[in-house]
Parts: sequence; structure tokens; C-alpha cells
Amino acid sequence: MSERNPLLSGRPLRSPDARLDATAAVDSGHPDARAEQLVKGGVDWFADLDRQVDQTVMTSNVSKHYRMGEQIIKALDDVTVNIAAGEYISIMGPSGSGKTTLFNCIGGLTKPTSGNVFIDEIDVAQLDANELAWLRCRKIGYIFQSYNIIKVMTALENVTLPMLFAGLPGDEAQDRGVEILGRVGLGDRLLHTPKELSGGQQQRVAIARAFANRPAIILADEPTANLDLKTGEEIIMLMKEMNREQGVTVICSTHDHKMLAQSDRIIWMEDGRIKRIADRDEVKITVSQMSDHQ
Amino acid sequence: MEKAEWQIGELRLRADLVWALAMSSLKVRMGRAFITGLTIATTTAFMMYLLTMPYADPNAPFHDGVAGMMGLRTDRDAGEVQGFLLMFVMALLVAAAGVLNTMLMNVSQRYREIGTIKCLGGLDRLILFSVLVEAALLGLVGAGLGVIIGLAISLLLSVADYGGAFWSHVGFGGLPLKVIFVLLIGMGLTTLGAAIPAQIAAKMPPIEAMRGEK
Repeated sequence: MSERNPLLSGRPLRSPDARLDATAAVDSGHPDARAEQLVKGGVDWFADLDRQVDQTVMTSNVSKHYRMGEQIIKALDDVTVNIAAGEYISIMGPSGSGKTTLFNCIGGLTKPTSGNVFIDEIDVAQLDANELAWLRCRKIGYIFQSYNIIKVMTALENVTLPMLFAGLPGDEAQDRGVEILGRVGLGDRLLHTPKELSGGQQQRVAIARAFANRPAIILADEPTANLDLKTGEEIIMLMKEMNREQGVTVICSTHDHKMLAQSDRIIWMEDGRIKRIADRDEVKITVSQMSDHQ
Repeated sequence: MEKAEWQIGELRLRADLVWALAMSSLKVRMGRAFITGLTIATTTAFMMYLLTMPYADPNAPFHDGVAGMMGLRTDRDAGEVQGFLLMFVMALLVAAAGVLNTMLMNVSQRYREIGTIKCLGGLDRLILFSVLVEAALLGLVGAGLGVIIGLAISLLLSVADYGGAFWSHVGFGGLPLKVIFVLLIGMGLTTLGAAIPAQIAAKMPPIEAMRGEK
């Protein structure tokens, strides 16, 4: 593709490591200051694009169609969304609303039928197999509803695997794996296999694995759907803490309204389209208004 | 295609990871590996037996060429040579069908795992090579076992038929070549059987692999 996205013209290109510097800067000051600044203006991000210097994920008119016999199913229909670095985004919507498809498109796990996905200004569609693998390895951490821990490996092996893929020497990967598993509260479960771990513990392993290479983006597709409420809340809190500490952008889909409290912005999807995008504060107002009417 | 000024890195294929993944997969699925190995062992044992059967003929000299390698006397009539070749080809086909099927099952049950590995940044080649290395090792061990069994059977039968006199007539000159030939067949079949599904799985978009489709 010779045509560059017009929204990107004239913007400085950043190296992958620049993100770490940005994160450090935020950490030294007010952890929430940057997120607040990015969230302000919320829905109307088309109004002042120049302010959105640090956006990480951008989809432009992304559609994904499946053919089912004679019918064409529009799993995603013209979705355009901008997500800033360091934001915690929740995506709400009934099953079949296109949440998972949007995740897969953003995460480079499937190709959209039309439209483009940009991650840190990189058009995912233009990447070859090796570059896609690099993107999945270094830029994005995935958390799935069904954990997808590799069954034949221990917790520690699962967490070190992406670091080994990234080229880290074995002992360094191991040290960091131990450290990060300790961070998610599994310091005493390093050598357990998934069979010996509860659902919540497996999801913690998945979180540790997703954060192992210090990604820029965490994509969590219904991470709490298979967990009880308390464990689910713990998982969400853990992701929020990592989001705050490391400045990672978190995009998390959920069915549960109780899980929204941690998010900076909430995106509602319906029939493959974005129905509404709102700041957390707006949502609280809506909820209280609704309860007033009752 | 212009690729702008992106700072995107490149992952390198690590031989140690290929080996580690292959070994861990073998170790973990020991039971399945054992059964696959047994399939290879029995079929290669039959081939080895066919190849060394003429040892039983105390007057059989060994010749060069295909018939020689098969241990056939070239002074026998062409029909007999063809008969042996036909039997060998049949054995090969039976082995191929069994081993290909086993390897196909073996790999296709791991699509989900392969998809997950791809999500974590595993290279297509890493997946492909680790499956191939695993299959080749399995083929080598299975065929090694088959060679020993096949040779033992044909020697035992020869001794049973001809008694001690057999040993003074037998020539082992052609044996190393036969052993290598059978080992290569065993490894080739397992590797080929694994290559096709592994290639499909490695090239698949990770999300489809994880759904276990195809």
C-alpha cells in the first residue's frame, strides 16, 4: 500500500522502546494524570486529532464479513475507534455483537475483510508472517476467556515461552518469569501444570504470560466469563494495577457491568457496530439518572 | 509495497527452542509417542524381515543394485525378483498409510496449542520445525526398534531352518546399507506424515488454529 493514513501524516514515528520511556515519565509523576488527560474529550476524538499523540490502537472502517451459505454475516461493520496509550477500555455488548472479532482484528489474529488496523502507527495488514509474530510477541499480550494455557507446560514454562520467543536467554527469562508469577500471586505455584491450578489461577498465569514481554497493549477477551464474581474482580483489579504500573493499554471485553468501574472508557457494541462510546464518569451519571427514574 | 519507517523487529528462529519444544512434546505425550513408535516399529520390522529374508538361503550370494540390496540372487528368474519387490512395495504402502494416519492425528490434536504458541509470538517455522524434529526422532527410534526386531526374526527363522550350518554361509556385507535404508524409510514416513498437517497448522491464522478447525 503506497497510501499512508492521512491521520498519521507528519507525526513522529516512535521506536518500540520509546514507549517504555513514556511509561517511566508517567510513573514518576501522577499515574492517573496521563490517563485522565487522554480520556478528556472522550467520544469526540475526531475533533482534535493533534492532541492524540499517544494513541496506540486505531481502527479505520474495519469490517469483517463471513459467508454462511447464501447469507453474508457482518461480524464487524465499519468500526472506527481510537484508543490512546495507557487507556483501560472496556468493550460491552451481547454475544455475537462483534467484540471477539474486533479483538482478533486488533490483535492481528485474523484479517479484516476491509478497513485497516493500526498499532502504534503500523498497519497490521502490511506485515508479513515474521513481523506479525514479532507484533504478537512484543507489542500485544493476549488473555482469553478459556485461559489457553498450554496444558503440557508448567506455569513458569508458560510464562517464559513468549520471552524465549522474543530472544531472551533462558536464565533471564526464568528469573523474570518467577518475578512476574510472584507479582500475580502465584509465587508458590511455579511448577504446577494447568491441571493442578484453579480457573482463577490459570487466568493469573495467562495474565503473567501476557505481560511477560512488557507489551504495549493487552487484549483481554472476556477474561472473567469463566470465573466466579470474586475471582473475576480480582483478575480485573490485577489487570488494572498492571495498567497503572506499567502504562499498558488494556482493552477488555466483558458482559458484566460490575467490571466497568475500573475502565477509563467504555465502548458498547451491537450487531458489529459501535453503538456508543462513553467515559466512565458519564456512565455513572447515566446509571444514577436511570435509578432516579425508577 | 512501501513499508514506511516502522520500527518493527524481527524474530529469529532459535534451534534450542525447536529442540526444547520437540522434546517436551515427546516427553509429555509419552503414551501417544509410544503407540506411534510401535506402529513404525512393526511396519519397519516387516520391511527389514523382507530385506534380510534371503539370509535363510545358505547359497545366496549378494549382488549390487536394487535386487542385490534386497538380498536377492540376480541369477534367479525375473518373476521372483518382481515378487519380492511387489511385497516390499506393499509393506511400504501399509507402513505409509498407518504412519501418515497416526502422525496426522497426532498433529491435528494440537491445533489449539499451536494457535496459542502463535499468539505468543511463535514463528511459523518454529512450529513446523519442532513438529518435524519430533516426528523424525520418533521415526528414528521406532524404525531402530523395527530393524532390530525384523533382523532378529529373520535370523531366528534361518537358524531354525538350517541350524548352525547357516552361519558359515551368511554374509553381512549388505547389512549396513539395508539398516540405513529402513531407518530412512521410517524417518521419512513420520516426517512426511507430520509435515502436511504441521504446515497447515503453522500457516493458519492463530485464531482459527485455536478453534481447532480444518
